[in-house]
Amino acid sequence: MEKIIRLENICYHYHDTISALADISLEIKGGERFAIIGANGTGKTTLLQIINGLIFPDSGRLFFKGNEVLKQTLKDRGFLRFFRQSVGYVFQDSDVQLFCPTVLDELLYGPLQLEISEKEAMDRAFEIMKMLKIEHLKERPTYMLSGGEKKKVAIGSILTMNPEVLLLDEPTNGLDPKTQCFLVELMLALNEAGKTLVLATHDLSLVDELQATVAVLSEEHRIEKTGRATEILKDEDLLLRVNLIHEHIHRHGEMTHRHIHSHYLFHRHDHD
Amino acid sequence: MSHPSQNFLGFQGKGVKTPFLERGLHRLAEMIKIAYSQWEFASREGFFQKLDARIKILFLIFFIVIVSLKKDIGSELLIGMFILFLMLLSRLDILCLYRRALLLGLIFGFLMALPSALNLFREGEVIFTFLQLSKPYSLWFYAIPERIGVTKEGIYGTVMLTLRVINSLSITFLVLYTTSFADIVKALKVFRLPDPFLIILTLAYKYLFLFARTVEEVHLAKKSRLLKELPPNLARQWIAGRIAFVFRKTQSKAEEVFKAMLCRGFSDSTKIHKTGKLGQRNWVAGTVFLLVGCLFLWI
Repeated sequence: MEKIIRLENICYHYHDTISALADISLEIKGGERFAIIGANGTGKTTLLQIINGLIFPDSGRLFFKGNEVLKQTLKDRGFLRFFRQSVGYVFQDSDVQLFCPTVLDELLYGPLQLEISEKEAMDRAFEIMKMLKIEHLKERPTYMLSGGEKKKVAIGSILTMNPEVLLLDEPTNGLDPKTQCFLVELMLALNEAGKTLVLATHDLSLVDELQATVAVLSEEHRIEKTGRATEILKDEDLLLRVNLIHEHIHRHGEMTHRHIHSHYLFHRHDHD
Repeated sequence: MSHPSQNFLGFQGKGVKTPFLERGLHRLAEMIKIAYSQWEFASREGFFQKLDARIKILFLIFFIVIVSLKKDIGSELLIGMFILFLMLLSRLDILCLYRRALLLGLIFGFLMALPSALNLFREGEVIFTFLQLSKPYSLWFYAIPERIGVTKEGIYGTVMLTLRVINSLSITFLVLYTTSFADIVKALKVFRLPDPFLIILTLAYKYLFLFARTVEEVHLAKKSRLLKELPPNLARQWIAGRIAFVFRKTQSKAEEVFKAMLCRGFSDSTKIHKTGKLGQRNWVAGTVFLLVGCLFLWI
């Protein structure tokens, strides 16, 4: 598979002082499911925003399909259009992403900015609404939607641009189990259709369900390890070290015991 | 038996007073939230709800001009009845809307114009005397008549202004409560307002709701930890701190929204999709409103 995104020694500081990312190098292949995992504050969102060309690193380089993504290159209208059409970003907070009057306007916004004809944009919007089962919300203002509906509309607003790469920031965060399940199935279907998925999450069950390639970010904002989901999820020492699992004491009737705990894989007991 | 003013733990039931500033903050958040009901009314099945927002906006402007031009009480009453009829057809909560319209009409129509009913400000036929002086007085360019009271012309003017305010408010409520904000924004395209302006308007409206919720939650979070009334200086300090907090939050949210716009192709201009053509129902309704409006102007 072709390498679609390449990051070389990326460093980023907030306000020029607080380190957010330190020496990050990554390669993401076309059609891959790639998960960036790490505890809160490790720089997952920052990394996704750098990949989307929304913020620029202090040092290091980002390449998309062999083209370097820089402030200067994004000033070129042709490259900007190519890049924005190819890479879509679903924000963690859907309220940030939904800024148009209605759901339909939201779905049409991206294609219209990319100068796609109104008819084609409309066709895409209706197709996506059907796929996400949100046709009944078409005329609804976005502030009148539930959390799950907002997330579906936010994803739909990106899918109408038909990007090759989808960057998803904590996609299942704060959603009910049914919507989470719907999203996992949707992500798998999109990947099956050839889309590259890059997600930032600390949800280990999601990583397991997607069987993604995983990059683990440490609390020092570095990549601790990269590997297959099965390999990473088995590595208890690594997950303990990066604070994705923790030791936990609790009672079972009269018995108190201590074990490694995560809400996904490691909640196992040595007794019945 | 315990005294009613004692709670189940036996403490004296003395409530915690909330300072004026905080109450104001809470009321502000509540008031903005009430606007949510607009969407609920706008989604109901009714005559006005089914019309295109462009027709409704043109109706609003046309009828407010008519209300302002009419100079007799009879015509204003007829217009008022027509608006009431449209409200009934649209299945709106008449009592709630007229309570608001009457209250605002009383404040901004009746009370504002009431002094002009006295012959101190405007000459006319006195129909109710308040004060009888021994002789008329003249102060600089100002004349105080011997008999001070309410004039027939003054009453007529006050009633006229009150009716105009009530009618204008009723027309505005009729349109606002049968049209979602999103449709109103799109209808403004009729007046060739640029798309970036409409996007900014939408964003401002949406974030007003989001931040009103934040303000209310901050207030409730504090209330849940409050055991006694805060001294006024501390209350003011707290309010100032929270204003700064909301301001910082709006700034960071604005940056995030801008990033979200950038990643969806926003560069230096923005477009929103065109509204569809008007259907037969809208053309018929528009023509009827035009004819009724002309009739009101003629009578």
